[in-house]
Amino acid sequence: MLFDSPVYFIFLIVVVLAYWRLSHRAQNVFLLLASYFFYGWWDWRFLALMIGSTTVDFLIAQKIAQSRPNPNRKQWFIFSLVLNFAILGVFKYFNFFVDSFAGSLDTLGFHHIPLPLIRIILPPGISFYTFQEVAYIVDVYKGRLEPAKSFVDYSLFISLFPHLIAGPIQRPSHLLPQVQKGRAFNADRFFDGMLLIFSGLLRKCVVADNCALLANAAFSGQLGSPNFWVILIGTYAFAWQVYGDFSGYSDIARGSAQLLGFHFMINFRQPFLSQNLQEFWRRWHISLSTWLRDYLYIPLGGSREGGWKTDRNLLTTMVLGGLWHGANWTYVVFGAIHGVVLSIERFFSVAKKKPADAVRSRHVTGFLSLWTQRILTFNILCLSLAFFRSPSLSSAVQFLGGLAHFAWRSEYVSAFVMLCMFSLPLLFVDLLLEASNQEYPFAEAPYAVRTGMAVIAFVVLAVFSGSKFSTFVYFQF
Amino acid sequence: MKHYSITYARVSRQYAEAVRVYPAAPKEPTSVLMVGNSLLLNGVDVDQLRKLTTSTLRIYPIFLEGTGYYDWLYGLRRLFRQGSRPQVVVVGFEVNTALANGVWEESPMMLFDARDVLGVAADLGLDYTATSNLLLSHMSAFWEMRSFFRRRILLRLVPHFEDLFPFVRSDLTIPQGGEFEAILMSRLRTLRELCEAHGAKLILVIPPTPSSETAVRRMAIASQKVGVNALVPIDPMALSPRFYQRDAIHLNFDGAVRFTSALAVDLSKTVMDVANRLS
Repeated sequence: MLFDSPVYFIFLIVVVLAYWRLSHRAQNVFLLLASYFFYGWWDWRFLALMIGSTTVDFLIAQKIAQSRPNPNRKQWFIFSLVLNFAILGVFKYFNFFVDSFAGSLDTLGFHHIPLPLIRIILPPGISFYTFQEVAYIVDVYKGRLEPAKSFVDYSLFISLFPHLIAGPIQRPSHLLPQVQKGRAFNADRFFDGMLLIFSGLLRKCVVADNCALLANAAFSGQLGSPNFWVILIGTYAFAWQVYGDFSGYSDIARGSAQLLGFHFMINFRQPFLSQNLQEFWRRWHISLSTWLRDYLYIPLGGSREGGWKTDRNLLTTMVLGGLWHGANWTYVVFGAIHGVVLSIERFFSVAKKKPADAVRSRHVTGFLSLWTQRILTFNILCLSLAFFRSPSLSSAVQFLGGLAHFAWRSEYVSAFVMLCMFSLPLLFVDLLLEASNQEYPFAEAPYAVRTGMAVIAFVVLAVFSGSKFSTFVYFQF
Repeated sequence: MKHYSITYARVSRQYAEAVRVYPAAPKEPTSVLMVGNSLLLNGVDVDQLRKLTTSTLRIYPIFLEGTGYYDWLYGLRRLFRQGSRPQVVVVGFEVNTALANGVWEESPMMLFDARDVLGVAADLGLDYTATSNLLLSHMSAFWEMRSFFRRRILLRLVPHFEDLFPFVRSDLTIPQGGEFEAILMSRLRTLRELCEAHGAKLILVIPPTPSSETAVRRMAIASQKVGVNALVPIDPMALSPRFYQRDAIHLNFDGAVRFTSALAVDLSKTVMDVANRLS
């Protein structure tokens, strides 16, 4: 069930109406069944995998908690990690690694070696729910969290439908207590939830889907062979597409959860206003970047030892973060670019800490400097997104190879106008949110104003949606 | 809302006429149902075609932009079900249209009923979400026409937006080897059997599109192999870019004049041949 399809909203309305009539325990059971229905809507066979994986992790967490301080708990912990990543590895990365191995053998002169490939469909949301299960197991093992006593509660924490397919990846310490405690109906939060859903639909159906038209045209060669202008149109349009798409998805997810009395962590905080990539990753896909920070970067040593070890940890985290997005070398390179740039930024930020520079930096910091840094960061991001968007490394290199050519065509004006038309309003909203520092759009405005804006949003949605590019980009991850 | 749509008005009128098509009596002009997409809509001057073939043919066109194989497979099924009985069915496909695996957004409302929607969804292997979207397009004019509104507004807001259209169309890659012929033959066979089951003869018209010479030849050969007459009224090689509109896909007025004249000759001749063979 896609979040921007009418059938989802029929489902959501039915679930919300029934849900608030039930007691807390019945609500959880009902939501679990509704979530399984939502997941099984794609392919009911994937349900077995998710339920199986949920059950095993629930039982292992009990074992870990019971055997404290028994040394067996470490074995249970490792078993759970191996199992979770093995399932993810087989479904998502097996063919990728076999293919890459075959390619290496071919380069070394061993041709036509028969290697096993499996015909398998990637179960929706597997990367998201696996990370959530791993976070739970790690937190229980580290003693940061008591294991859930109720299987229904734990299963609901893993499979609650608003976050099930594409996040935001919920922290056990944030969501599990909400599942376990009763939830009271709050009209204000319900209203905020509805506005979030509207905001998400606008971001997805208006911004992302229309920018997708341009991005797809640029990357598929329909705007002509790659040159500076095509690359500019393609990467800028893709940046706004993927931002509108995923932040839209996250808003609909958060809004839907809010209608059910849950609060999900915010996943995007005006990422294109970042002044460097470090800040970008604090604002972009926050649920993933903080997961990687807490469960990968810090266990690797983080920045504790400084020097090259911090750079190594950064690079490892970003490369694995890139690979999380998909089984393709393009994602690895995307992650590596970010890892390298983050290391470079770290080097300069360490150098900047000298007192004389600090004084000088205060002088140069101003409007111009702020926007120069924002634009520079955005352009570095766009260049890395060329790898993210391209189907292969060679096509990404070929695409970026056109940067030195500047052949202008009059049609590009239309493309730029269209790009501005759909990206600038979102930039404007981001600037407003940045200035107000609020979680919800126009949170301080009176009800009437917010209702009026929802009506306008509905009209804009009616007029500018309707593109065929309706699949969410992050569904594939 | 749909009553404000020129397309809806045109297709509804054409569809209603097509439902009432009946086989001609002896000495009467043969009844011909002609279906296709914007290539025929722009490339065929229907009044002129009727004038040129008035003694031999009674032509009933239904042209809906963006339609392809599945639109007309189910569109024709519904027409036959509703009582339409033409003696000849002419389908206008070029390569993309013939190979397309999908249906045009306006077809569920204009050409299908609910069971056709479910049939198309099953044939295309659509998931529940896509199927429900298609059903909604069948029931809601607003849902079905959203992309039309969007296009019209963008045309007003973005300067020279129409120039961008040829760039953003999605071109289909023609499968290599025998796959192209295999798909085409299977589809044409299905259409032929459908038409023959209702007493009609199927004819394929391949309208010209730029750089389509090889594909047109391959289509014509594949068509003959499954016993469907293929008409190529104008060789695409014979048309210079000046016969096409700015989008470089559709014929312009001059192109349409040439295509219509050629089609009138070829169609009359082929229908006469078919009639003679049958008699």
